[in-house]
Amino acid sequence: MDAVRVQEADFSIEAEVTALRRASSRIGGIATFLGCARDFSEGREVAAITFEQYAPMAAKALGALREEALVRFDIIEARIVHRVARVTPGEQIVLIVVGAEHRAPAFEACRWLIDELKRRVPIWKREETPAGERWVTPHP
Amino acid sequence: MSVRVLLFGAVAERTGRRELSLDADAVADVADVVAAAGCRDGETLLVAVNHELVRDPRARVRDGDEVALMPPFSGG
Repeated sequence: MDAVRVQEADFSIEAEVTALRRASSRIGGIATFLGCARDFSEGREVAAITFEQYAPMAAKALGALREEALVRFDIIEARIVHRVARVTPGEQIVLIVVGAEHRAPAFEACRWLIDELKRRVPIWKREETPAGERWVTPHP
Repeated sequence: MSVRVLLFGAVAERTGRRELSLDADAVADVADVVAAAGCRDGETLLVAVNHELVRDPRARVRDGDEVALMPPFSGG
């Protein structure tokens, strides 16, 4: 499994953590961020979310993010998986897993990766609400 | 020869198309591509040329380039 992926299928946190741990036995702390689909957003019920991506640029941007995190933070390995599919409330959307010798850089890099992913990776979500479908406007 | 233009999300919806091909001789820069694609003035648009974000509307566009016109990202 590649360390960064955009895929339609659901992912396994266990499998990603296991793959991360295989990278090095020096990893002492692992931080994860899991993003899930909500059933309510900006005052409206949400029945489902459909994602769209610009595939070649998304793959490139995710790979660059991981590389930058490995340089910027004192971490050993990082994995990022983002789904592009129609998902219903409760389903998994995105996973970031970061391994470091110690917890502080693992947490910091994990936070930085999800924040930068939202800013830099060309993926969009469209929500199905009782008032119809709408593209989501990002909030900072 | 041509410049391939790809439109995404709300931008594709507003303009009614997801892809178009422009004559490379008819577009000199990013601003020309945005105008030719029918994007609205003042619309918040992110532009990538060959998969790299470009901030300058006067950035050159050349034959064979792939230009993406994108709304602000909302992944994650």
